[in-house]
Amino acid sequence: MAKRIIVTDDAPIIRLMLRDILTYNGYEVIKECNNGQEAVEAFTELKPDLMTLDIVMPEKDGIQALEEILTDDDSAKIVMVTAVDQREALMKAIRIGATDYIVKPFENDRVLSAVRKALCED
Amino acid sequence: MTDRLKVDKALKLIAKLSIDKSSQVLSKMIKSGARIDLENVCVVDITEATEKVIGQSDQEVVGAFIDLVGDAPFKFLFYVNVADSLVLTDLILKREIGMTKIFDVYAQSAVQEMGNILSSAISNVFSSDFQISMAPTPPTVINDYASTVFTEYIMSVAVDKNEILIIESVFNIVATNIGCRMFILPVGESEKILSYVASTM
Repeated sequence: MAKRIIVTDDAPIIRLMLRDILTYNGYEVIKECNNGQEAVEAFTELKPDLMTLDIVMPEKDGIQALEEILTDDDSAKIVMVTAVDQREALMKAIRIGATDYIVKPFENDRVLSAVRKALCED
Repeated sequence: MTDRLKVDKALKLIAKLSIDKSSQVLSKMIKSGARIDLENVCVVDITEATEKVIGQSDQEVVGAFIDLVGDAPFKFLFYVNVADSLVLTDLILKREIGMTKIFDVYAQSAVQEMGNILSSAISNVFSSDFQISMAPTPPTVINDYASTVFTEYIMSVAVDKNEILIIESVFNIVATNIGCRMFILPVGESEKILSYVASTM
């Protein structure tokens, strides 16, 4: 059975890219979220195997969403997605409990490597 | 050296480093060579800025406004004409050029994401090379004539300034003939911080 993934990014083009990479490689993207608030609600409702979470988003950013999701479920597998070396934000996300991260612009292989590692498929 | 000259010197250095970093990121993103040139670093009267920068060649563009917040706040603008935004969308999605035929949500977000990634590259230069902590806010995308987009951009600092210091860069993406423009504009106390940076160089 395909692993179920939620993709979160405020840019539709990034969601499309991630969806294409993941579905082509056998994962099921069960929902796309536009901001951190949607992500928290979707995680609670759908309990995916993994979620990708952009850091800079309107309404609720990825760091806030990450904290709320992990407070509710400390085994959640979350891969952060961020633009070029936002080191401080990434360090914070890792300290909070993010499983891995991807830096935009990303290569397909890097996305798959992070997802497989987070899902312990390596 | 006057404060203004110090700020100009610091800005030119930051602009050059930012452009180098942005070129690398842009080339990686679109899998094609991208050349970014520093077109202009100038101080202009705010009432004349749009005419001086945009000139007579007004065209419909799509732009991304981003605030870089932190120790030295800046306002960032990236724009491209609407037709070229379709090509940019194909490049980002690694599709054959010409597949995107209408300006839709994906074309809009291609510009949004370009702005996001380029402004992050610039904030990274501030933090890694000058220890000035900066972070981009979520982009706002606008589709209008270049003069309208640029006027809205500079008017956001018009409250406390009569003159503005503008850094303008022009992008050329190899083999596609796309032209894009990027601006960064110091706001608030940023010029004082840049003056300090210049004095340490």
